[in-house]
Amino acid sequence: MPYNIAMVSDFFFPQPGGVESHMYQLSTKLIDRGHKVIVITHAYEGRTGVRYLTNGLKVYHVPFLIIYRASTFPTVFSFLPIFRNIVIREEIEIVHGHGSLSSFCIEAILHARTMGIRTVFTDHSLFGFADAGSILTNKLLKFALSDVDHVICVSHTCKENTVLRASLDPLMVSVIPNAVVAENFRPLSHPAYSDTAILPQHLGPHDTITIVVISRLFYNKGTDLLVAAIPRILASHPNVRFIIAGSGPKAIDLEQMLERNVLQDRVEMLGPVRHEEVRDVMVRGHIYLHPSLTEAFGTVIVEAASCGLYVVCTQVGGIPEVLPAHMTVFAKPEEDDLVAATGRAIAALRANKVRTEKFHDQVKMMYSWTDVAERTERVYDGISGALSEADFYGYEAADAASWSATRGRAGVQSFALIDRLKRYYGCGIWAGKLFCLCVVIDYLLFLMLEFWAPRDAIDIARSWPKKLREEKVAGDGSSFPK
Amino acid sequence: MLTTQPHLRVRRPSPTTVEYTISTSPTLTLPLRLLLVTTIILRLLVGFSILLLLYSKYLLSNFAPDSSTRGLPPAAFLSYDYIAYVLGQIHTSRAGVLSTRLATLTPYSLLLPLSFLVLHILLRRPHTTESLLVLRGLGIQTSTSSASYLSSATTRFIPTEKVQDILVNEAFRGFEVRYYLVVVVEGEEEVVVVFPRLLPRRVIVEKVWRGVRGCLWEKGKEDRVVSGGKG
Repeated sequence: MPYNIAMVSDFFFPQPGGVESHMYQLSTKLIDRGHKVIVITHAYEGRTGVRYLTNGLKVYHVPFLIIYRASTFPTVFSFLPIFRNIVIREEIEIVHGHGSLSSFCIEAILHARTMGIRTVFTDHSLFGFADAGSILTNKLLKFALSDVDHVICVSHTCKENTVLRASLDPLMVSVIPNAVVAENFRPLSHPAYSDTAILPQHLGPHDTITIVVISRLFYNKGTDLLVAAIPRILASHPNVRFIIAGSGPKAIDLEQMLERNVLQDRVEMLGPVRHEEVRDVMVRGHIYLHPSLTEAFGTVIVEAASCGLYVVCTQVGGIPEVLPAHMTVFAKPEEDDLVAATGRAIAALRANKVRTEKFHDQVKMMYSWTDVAERTERVYDGISGALSEADFYGYEAADAASWSATRGRAGVQSFALIDRLKRYYGCGIWAGKLFCLCVVIDYLLFLMLEFWAPRDAIDIARSWPKKLREEKVAGDGSSFPK
Repeated sequence: MLTTQPHLRVRRPSPTTVEYTISTSPTLTLPLRLLLVTTIILRLLVGFSILLLLYSKYLLSNFAPDSSTRGLPPAAFLSYDYIAYVLGQIHTSRAGVLSTRLATLTPYSLLLPLSFLVLHILLRRPHTTESLLVLRGLGIQTSTSSASYLSSATTRFIPTEKVQDILVNEAFRGFEVRYYLVVVVEGEEEVVVVFPRLLPRRVIVEKVWRGVRGCLWEKGKEDRVVSGGKG
């Protein structure tokens, strides 16, 4: 059953990043499966208005004020009129928000529920519980997720984190990992490039081993750890080189470290690289070092393994779930252990114990966007009632019929305002009342909009012609000059 | 009642010419004509009373000329003296006396902005009409009626060889997303939006788009243009 889906997030191309490519890949695969997908994001410089991407993916770049790291200013209600217009003209049935720091996504989920549309939220990041910023974000997330149909997390660690932060029922949280386009991350020795059979690469004791680091240079990506570890690794292993790609506020620390230790000839700083160039950087190395302090999934280490690199990474967040043990060396997120783990990896490579040339095919078997799209589609089926409750949530959940008081008889979240208010009221003594107020105002605004901008005054947009049903398009006798 | 939803009228004087007119004016019936005439008379009345009020206020001010010259009408018709005589007559009439009393009561700060606002509203045209004229081999002409009676319609002619493409696009406008018809003109940064004030609905825009393409480019050429269409 094809759905009309709107992906909503502040983060989308042309900005690079994990959420962005996740949304793009998932959308294209869902379109391949016969759904109609649009993306709603804010306007970027040089990227405004309504755009079409490959495969007929329509992107609405809504003009909005940006405050911090591509996030828009949270205004709670001001997004409603334009969002309602887009949802009506595109006949959206499911709103799928991405990224908990995106105010667009949180607002869209609230408005969508007000309009009686099913919502899904995908969480891509982990958060703490202690500092003031996290407490505020968590409260906001609790508000957004009080009334959502289903939540998707990219790893089990992420699921645990989100369930705790937003006080969710674990049954309504699914885990669907990220994936990689394995064809874009082939090692140099791949048969697609040479006809010769794959020979296991043998490294002699004096051959140079190159360690690649590709990450945005922020505190949470562990750049400080990298700054401390690089001189020690280079000191103890003479035939080792580093290639570091990426930019960010911590780049200056790295450069200072290089100058202090005079390591310019052994460490190559590439600066920012585009996503399509990442593979070309990766295949130049043997080991991929990922010193991140927090990571919900870590797509980049899957990409590295797909390029045939041995992965050294910190054992934080969802990283341990991502790759099998024979592809990775884990370290605790501290300087000494990171140096020791890198040493172990270098030794293992020199001893030719690791069959890195097989990594690509193994990763290809493990991760594919088609699989991600299939699993996401199952979530859509579950929340819209196409799949029975027992099938979707498990038979135990269906038996214990009262596991959620506000859940309707069909196993789907009720849209009735009173049921929604009940869900929000439980958020806290003061917050609950405040949230209820927000929901009531949102509902009143929605009713006013129905009066001021009636539905039948909004044009229904034409859908992109579907590939599979060519005869229908031909019979329609029209094609847009797009 | 005087205006309707924007609707399309197609005029085809010859096989190679077609004019698309989008207008908010309804088809004129006798009662509607009478109503229009009534509103025009009403507008004139209100407009002249406001002008009279302003004139009275002017006479009350320090800049007013000495109103001692009064008597018989000057012989020359429509001369300066004659106009001054007529104005004096109006000023001393009953309506003039009434407006003088009203003018003494209202301060400048209230009278001036209010009267200019009302005059502005009175000068507005009740209907908006926008049209697109297509002449095969020559070009297309867009025209938009102006908002007030003081200015005339703005027209723009684009010769065929300058027209790169005509396409339907979507854009944000206020709190909504609208379909609109644009002409891509060679050598210009900005595209020309057809029907910029009314922005008719998708059904109309698509109909005009098909018609324009069919009329502007001949059949054989049209295929090339459609397949090479960009967007």
